[in-house]
Amino acid sequence: MRGLLARRMKFHFIGAFLVSLGSATLYKFAVAEPRKQAYEDFYKNYNPMKDFEAMKAAGVLESAPPK
Amino acid sequence: MANHSQLGFQDASSPIMEELMRFHDHAMMVALAICSLVLYLLTLTLTGKLSSNTVNAQVIEIIWTILPAAVLIMLALPSLRILYMMDEVNEPNLTLKAIGHQWYWTYEYTDFKDLTFDSYMTPTTDLPLGHFRLLETDHRVIVPTRSTVRVIVTADDVLHSWAIPSLGVKTDAIPGRLNQTSFSASRPGVFYGQCSEICGANHSFMPIVVESVPLANFESWSSTLPS
Repeated sequence: MRGLLARRMKFHFIGAFLVSLGSATLYKFAVAEPRKQAYEDFYKNYNPMKDFEAMKAAGVLESAPPK
Repeated sequence: MANHSQLGFQDASSPIMEELMRFHDHAMMVALAICSLVLYLLTLTLTGKLSSNTVNAQVIEIIWTILPAAVLIMLALPSLRILYMMDEVNEPNLTLKAIGHQWYWTYEYTDFKDLTFDSYMTPTTDLPLGHFRLLETDHRVIVPTRSTVRVIVTADDVLHSWAIPSLGVKTDAIPGRLNQTSFSASRPGVFYGQCSEICGANHSFMPIVVESVPLANFESWSSTLPS
């Protein structure tokens, strides 16, 4: 039992640090990076005129009613 | 607009909102790291696995002063970067005035013609099929896509606030004061917002609708309106 508290505290402080780093890394690769990638993928081949024509045909625009 | 039970941000429709979303993810990571650290240590403490008989705590005191300071710097730097980015003078092509009243907005396009119109919420009883309850207006704010638009916001009576979440815009409308903001819609579409400062009985019923269209369509729309 000699040095048990010191050993245990060292173990758990390292453990706590790893848990917090791990949860931040998990959030980064599960949420943040996919979100960035989703925006990149959306705008990579985005055609604003085609999107606009689709909205116009659907009749959702006040300034550009469908013919 | 937001879906029912939506917790996160609406999809970003302007570069500033994309930056804000990225910063929010960054801040959330930091908050999650700190909360999980505290929860872990708290669980250990409450289950009796962690205790201390330390009387000389010099090293740990230094560590838990330096580390939080570093975390705060990690948060402050990107935050200030975006704050200054939002205030950049970016030569707007169009200036628009938004004036808050109880309980509607007036918009003025005075760059080339004297175009002024009021924008009232469409009552639910008059709402066409497929339109959004409490969000639609009789006249929308039409802006050109991918052009920087300056908005001067003020109010006529009490405090209001001109806000559109997906464009990353929220500016208080204060009587006797002109507040300036700017945005650039990244894509064509219709973007909804609501008054964001309590202003009386119908505060929840004076929405804002911005419609972003290609420049040619914006010009043909503005030429059809009477001065």
